[in-house]
Amino acid sequence: MAGGDDDFPPAVKQEQSVMNRKRALISDTFKVKKSRNGPEKFGVVCNGNGPVDVKSSLEYLMTLFPRKLFNDALPTIVLKHQLYSLHNDKTLVDKEVNKLREQAELLMFQLGFDTEAFGLTFISDYKAKVLAGQEGKVTRATVERFLEKLLTSSCTDLSFSKEKMLREFLFTDSEITQLVKSGVLTVRDAGSWWLSIPNSGKFTKYFIQGRKAVLGMVKKSKYSEVLQAELEERRTIAQVKFNMKYHIHDIVGADLVESIPTTSGALLRFVES
Amino acid sequence: MLGFLTARQAGLDDPLRLRRAESTRRVFGLELNPDRDVDRIHGNGINTIDIEAVEGRYMLSGGSDGIIVVYDLENYSGKPQYTCKAVCTVGRSSRYVHKFSVETVQWYPYDTGMFVSSSFDKTMKVWDTETLKPAEVFEFEGNVYSHHLSPIARKHSLIAVGTKYPKVQLCDLKSGSRSHVLQGHRAEVLSVRWSPRYEHILATASADSKVKVWDVRRASGSLLDLDQHKGDKSKASTEAVNTAHNGRVNGLCFTGDGLYILTTGTDDRMRLWNSATGENTLVNYGKVCNESRKKLQFAVSRGCSPEFVFVPCGSSVAVYALHTGELVTMLRGHYNNVDCCEFHPDYQELYSGGKDCNILAWVPVLHASAVEDESNSSNKDAASQPSVNPALQDAWSSDED
Repeated sequence: MAGGDDDFPPAVKQEQSVMNRKRALISDTFKVKKSRNGPEKFGVVCNGNGPVDVKSSLEYLMTLFPRKLFNDALPTIVLKHQLYSLHNDKTLVDKEVNKLREQAELLMFQLGFDTEAFGLTFISDYKAKVLAGQEGKVTRATVERFLEKLLTSSCTDLSFSKEKMLREFLFTDSEITQLVKSGVLTVRDAGSWWLSIPNSGKFTKYFIQGRKAVLGMVKKSKYSEVLQAELEERRTIAQVKFNMKYHIHDIVGADLVESIPTTSGALLRFVES
Repeated sequence: MLGFLTARQAGLDDPLRLRRAESTRRVFGLELNPDRDVDRIHGNGINTIDIEAVEGRYMLSGGSDGIIVVYDLENYSGKPQYTCKAVCTVGRSSRYVHKFSVETVQWYPYDTGMFVSSSFDKTMKVWDTETLKPAEVFEFEGNVYSHHLSPIARKHSLIAVGTKYPKVQLCDLKSGSRSHVLQGHRAEVLSVRWSPRYEHILATASADSKVKVWDVRRASGSLLDLDQHKGDKSKASTEAVNTAHNGRVNGLCFTGDGLYILTTGTDDRMRLWNSATGENTLVNYGKVCNESRKKLQFAVSRGCSPEFVFVPCGSSVAVYALHTGELVTMLRGHYNNVDCCEFHPDYQELYSGGKDCNILAWVPVLHASAVEDESNSSNKDAASQPSVNPALQDAWSSDED
């Protein structure tokens, strides 16, 4: 590696000495001996060995969502890529999420600010919040009917086209307008709609604001890197309205920062793009 | 490893199993080796590398300066320290050299007597390796991004060419004329690849976000369009067409057995497709940084048990496991962007070339005892050569004869 050792901050020096110890990657085929004290990766909680338990990770992430901020009107939303920060194998996580969706436990939404950012909510939560929000409104009956249709036939769909709404679900044009007004559907294309969460505009706004602010904090740090524990301790500025951990899982899972295991815990380094 | 050897000896294991296990272990140990070097001839970035399929001995490289170099990769000196020398070059002094950057070079699949190169000067030249003169020149209307000769073809000798224009041109090597044109893309064709399994199947990747699979015998258009959402129309941002990526598709590669296609795009994603049905296998590789405006040459390992993909990612080469999508390691060593990489299946070595004008050889690391022997022996004989591998030392001849 080029460059003198004095240029590097202590955290990086430690990381380099770990790498220089030449622990060569060995494939599973050759690991005959059982590891004696357990391979402890420095400071990082990693659950690499057991079967991937996506549901419990989802529930953990749901606890980080701030319900009070939205006056309890929104169901808890978690982003799919936040799960990638908790588990190593992305393909397995995707498979598990799809399984939960097919079992009609989880709903996935296209949030709109990024083609790859998908929001997840538990179906029971979503249904309860949407119906609560529709109390006393004239559109209530249509929305209830739509939710029933959704849960029985196509809870894995993210969007609906006009033919589907008219033919399969037997909604009229005026009813579709009512659904759009109530916030359950958002316009995607001429004649097709995304499934969406009513009143989620505020969520998206605060989320993007918070993400930008947290990324800015990492970027402005010396060498564009900061220890995860230190970042969690920092005073949250006014821009960041969500829990810091929620944002950290988001930026790690979306590959906007790189999480490097060091002896002082996980280090988050800003990824130039 | 000894367990594998005994099992093979006793007949408990298939012979292939030992080979695969050892190949996989060697790929895990890929590292930059101070003993192995490649001659530095190019003055400008290296765009493409090709290792011949027959012996795996000669390597071609094409650079942004229009220069083409042939290297000898074989180490006959008996010493571990070896520089791959350039055997011959088509340099700027040659009359026939390309005027602008060479984008793709490929050896003729059956012997090293001939190679084909295509460049931004809108020509594709078929060279005779002996005389280094072009035997045939094909001219096109737009910059040529990519060409490919089928590695298994017996019944045809077509070269597929992808240029700035959306039509994919097929040129016949035997007659020297153009054969026909494949229409269907809407923007420049960045990469073309023949299937290593069926000699008439061709895959093309274009800047209009589509990847099409063609049978060249069929007159009426492509067989398949690869669809990233696997038919699930509800995920796409519009109801309209099938796209393979959300941006330009600039890298295309078949796996060694021809059963899967890998594509990379400027939406920073890499996707694995089933080549027979065109289905997206939905393996998630995460963010594979890709900013290239031209084609990206990446390689898939052959003969290992979980296969690996080597993708240039900025100034390093990322190694992913093919079917699980996990990042195995990042090979860092280049000083600037890496443009191309090629895997040598016989020795499990990786050669990568980039804008820093270097071709780096990533060699599987041998057992560490060689380093200790060297430091001991160097104290004894000061002016002698570095210690030879004990297996190669001469234990037969005697001084009396």
